[in-house]
Formats: sequence, structure tokens, C-alpha cells
Amino acid sequence: MKDTVSSPLKKELRTYAVHKSELLRRARGKYVLIKGSRIIGTFESELDAAHQGYERFGNVPFLVKQVVEVEVPLDFTSSLLGV
Amino acid sequence: MPGLTVQLADLQVEGPRLEVRLTDTAGAASPAAVDALIDTGATVTVVANRVLKRLGLGPVGTALVHTPSATNVRCHKYLVRLVLPNGVGLETVAIGTPLRGQRIQCLIGRDLPKNAVFIYTGQTNTFTLSF
Repeated sequence: MKDTVSSPLKKELRTYAVHKSELLRRARGKYVLIKGSRIIGTFESELDAAHQGYERFGNVPFLVKQVVEVEVPLDFTSSLLGV
Repeated sequence: MPGLTVQLADLQVEGPRLEVRLTDTAGAASPAAVDALIDTGATVTVVANRVLKRLGLGPVGTALVHTPSATNVRCHKYLVRLVLPNGVGLETVAIGTPLRGQRIQCLIGRDLPKNAVFIYTGQTNTFTLSF
């Protein structure tokens, strides 16, 4: 897999991986908000979680991620995307 | 339901494009006026990385992306506010990628019109978006 994501969310992605099993048990399908090694909470929508992240931390990197077993890729048919 | 109708010289050639203003949701960043294309082939909205950099936004997530030329590319996601020419503001979590070409700097994906009516009228070179 080609991975273009470097440092800004590495710690948060690691935190998600560590807690994934537990999150799947208690919040499958919801959106988890993670800052550093802390799980802040789970939310019904991605926008709700992102707004909460902005309110708490401001315009700095944090992770909002849907709690799913397997991440489904997003499809784009346009050749304008430079990836 | 606020509606917006855009007339273009040649809708087939240009596609359903319009100028939008992009900013952060707090309104702290100076808005960036960009050309956007309504792209029903895009699962979610995409904003050019160079525009996101200008807005100074930090990433709020990641997503795996499939395109005609690549699979499973991990990209960052950003919380953005998009303001249409009629003043209607929409918030979404958009993907940041490089966009080829100089003109289109935002692809409005199916996340934004999911609760809207989108009418493409080729005969009159117009399209209408109503929320």
C-alpha cells in the first residue's frame, strides 16, 4: 500500500490501533476522537467529532476515525486527483 | 429551499463548475476563492493541498483513496467550510490531495449534495443546486 501520510497523525493512528478491539466492542460504526495517546470520546457523526476536536484543541492535528473492522477506501473517478 | 442556478457558456465542455469560498469552520482563516467542480464520481469532497496549506488547516483524520491511477493511497482529511455564491455555507470533512491542472482546486463530492437537489440541464447550459 502506498502511504502518503507521514508524521502529523502517527501517534493518534498508533493509539487507534492499540485500542481498536476495545473500540469495536463498545462503539462500532461511531467516530472516535483521538489526540495523542488519549481517546477523547466517540460521536455519532464525523462532523460532530471534528467540531469537538476543534473546540477542545483548536486548529492542530487530531484524529477522527470511524470505528470499523476494515477501512473501506473512498472512490474517485476523476483523473484530476494527483495521487 | 435556497437554490443556486449557474449558467455557463458550454456546460458539456466546462462541466458543472462554480466559484466557491473555502475557509475554516471558525472563520479565522482568510477565505480562498477557488473554482470547484461538482463531481458525482467523487465519494467525498476533495480540496487541493495547496489551498489547504494556504488556509493553514491541520488534518483531522485520514482516508484510503482509490483513483483511476492508484489504489489504497492514504490521504489526510480536513474540516472545511465551503460557501456557495448565494451565501449558503456548508461544512464537511474533505480529502486533501494534489489536483492536476491549475483551474479546478476543489471537487464537490457526493457528501455535500447528499441532502440537496442537483439539476443538470444540458439544453440551456445551466445547473441548479438546491439545499
